Amino acid sequence: MALPFSGRKDGLSLSEALPDRSLFILVAMMSFLAALTLTGATGARTLSTRWAGGAAQLLTIQVSEPDQPVAGASKTDKTAPQTRADAVLTDLAALPAGTQVHRLTQEELARLLTPWLGDAGKTALPLPAVIEVRLAEGHEAPLDLEQALEAHVSGTVVEHNAEWSSRLRALAESLLACAALALATVGGIATMITALATRAGLSTRRDIIEILHGLGATDSYIAGRFAWRTGGLALGGALLGTLLAMAPLLLLFRMAAPFAASTLQATSTAMPDWRTLPDLLPGDMLAGLAALPFVAAFIGWATTQFMVRVWLRRMP
Amino acid sequence: MIRMNGVSWRRERKEGTPALSNLSFEVPQGGFRWLLGPSGAGKTSLLSLLHVENLPTDGTLCLLDKDVTTQTPRALLVRLRQRIGMVHQDFRLMPDLSVADNVALPLRLQHRPEDEITDEVHAILKWVGLGDRIGVRASRLSGGEQQRTAIARAIVHRPGLILADEPTNALEEPQAHKLLDLFGELSSMGTTVIVATHNEALIRRLPRPALMLERGRLVQDGT
Ligand SMILES: Nc1ncnc2c1ncn2[C@@H]1O[C@H](COP(=O)(O)OP(=O)(O)OP(=O)(O)O)[C@@H](O)[C@H]1O
Ligand SMILES: [Mg+2]
Repeated sequence: MALPFSGRKDGLSLSEALPDRSLFILVAMMSFLAALTLTGATGARTLSTRWAGGAAQLLTIQVSEPDQPVAGASKTDKTAPQTRADAVLTDLAALPAGTQVHRLTQEELARLLTPWLGDAGKTALPLPAVIEVRLAEGHEAPLDLEQALEAHVSGTVVEHNAEWSSRLRALAESLLACAALALATVGGIATMITALATRAGLSTRRDIIEILHGLGATDSYIAGRFAWRTGGLALGGALLGTLLAMAPLLLLFRMAAPFAASTLQATSTAMPDWRTLPDLLPGDMLAGLAALPFVAAFIGWATTQFMVRVWLRRMP
Repeated sequence: MIRMNGVSWRRERKEGTPALSNLSFEVPQGGFRWLLGPSGAGKTSLLSLLHVENLPTDGTLCLLDKDVTTQTPRALLVRLRQRIGMVHQDFRLMPDLSVADNVALPLRLQHRPEDEITDEVHAILKWVGLGDRIGVRASRLSGGEQQRTAIARAIVHRPGLILADEPTNALEEPQAHKLLDLFGELSSMGTTVIVATHNEALIRRLPRPALMLERGRLVQDGT
């Protein structure tokens, strides 16, 4: 007595006779791949937009011997002599409104230098002042900024990130193109594999379709039963594949988080806590991942509807 | 009832002589006809037309008061098929379904209440001697058991027309006689029955008019 009398109300208790579980496995593998690609593409986009966008507005200014008085200033000015760092800061205040100027504190400097100098706070090395300038959106630093600062406080170095930002932007764009291409390819392959697996599963069940037809089942009924079954299998498979892909994805994003940061203050060699990780993941990527199982289910469902109806049309 | 007038049927994409040519005959409602003829004569082909699995290439066919042509709406053909019980020569069971689920198919397609289905299915399976095989997968059945399951599925929904293609070739004599008696009884109660067979002994047991086919032509039209 292998099977009981199922007594199912909804139809014909066909689940035993419908396309088998190989579809489930195939769709799971395809979704795994698609999820990874989707994330890779999103990650590439996030990194490249932050780099390319952030770098153009970002200047780093180094002032050597920051605590020395400005040369020449003490002769005319009888009040407390201005330090070289303060002088640069004063000049920078003339930059367009919305510009953020931040002199790194001793701790921030120390943290930046720790990998190279060890405990920098205790070294006797004379450290320059590092001033980070973030221009407002749409503004670029005046071309003569470096000369102006150099004339006022000699030995001031302005690192123009904008120069390599154009190269970064080019790199980012090609990276994006690659990611889009990969996404389109994997999406296309996944669609085809799902459709082919559905087809293969159905062709072994063709006799069943004919039997049901002979017993007086309508086309829409037969197509519907098979489509819901394959749609369900594809949904389950894609859900599994996507969930399995989440583990490497989270790991990857956690490692990438420090590089995605765009300001020096935020730069930290530490990886974010697991709990805060979901906030770092781009919303559209999460939406894409969530949509994946439903897309797979739809492909399975639609392929089945189409194929079963085409077969049935050949019979009167 | 069945009325065929000059019906020919050609397989798809097959040229030459049609599988069936120029068939004309009539069977009144409640009539019983043997369908005879040598192997390859076209008995299964004729039954496929009567089961609306295939449509006539030429001529007119009227089944259960409905005209069957290539113009007939699909929905009507579907309803017609539901009113016909067919025992295929090769049984055509769903291998992965249990005996009971196979037999329940015609009733479920008509959306009968499930408790009614259970009763009907158990009764008919008991009658064909499969009362103790109800939950067995159809693929695990012997040939005779498969044939009896197919017979049960063909009659469980009380069709107006029963078509049986060699329905006793896998049965032992007592079972075959029991089935034949049932067919005779159903016919006298108003069901039209067509039975294709090679079995002379069977024909002697229930002497009824015969449709005789030879190479796709009707040489005896049952009158
Ligand atoms: N699937 C098929 N494709 C092509 N020709 C077929 C096919 N099935 C049957 N035929 C041919 O059609 C003719 C009629 O076959 P049919 O099955 O109707 O004969 P039959 O009277 O039922 O024979 P049997 O008593 O052996 O079952 C035969 O010549 C057969 O070779
Ligand atoms: Mg035959």
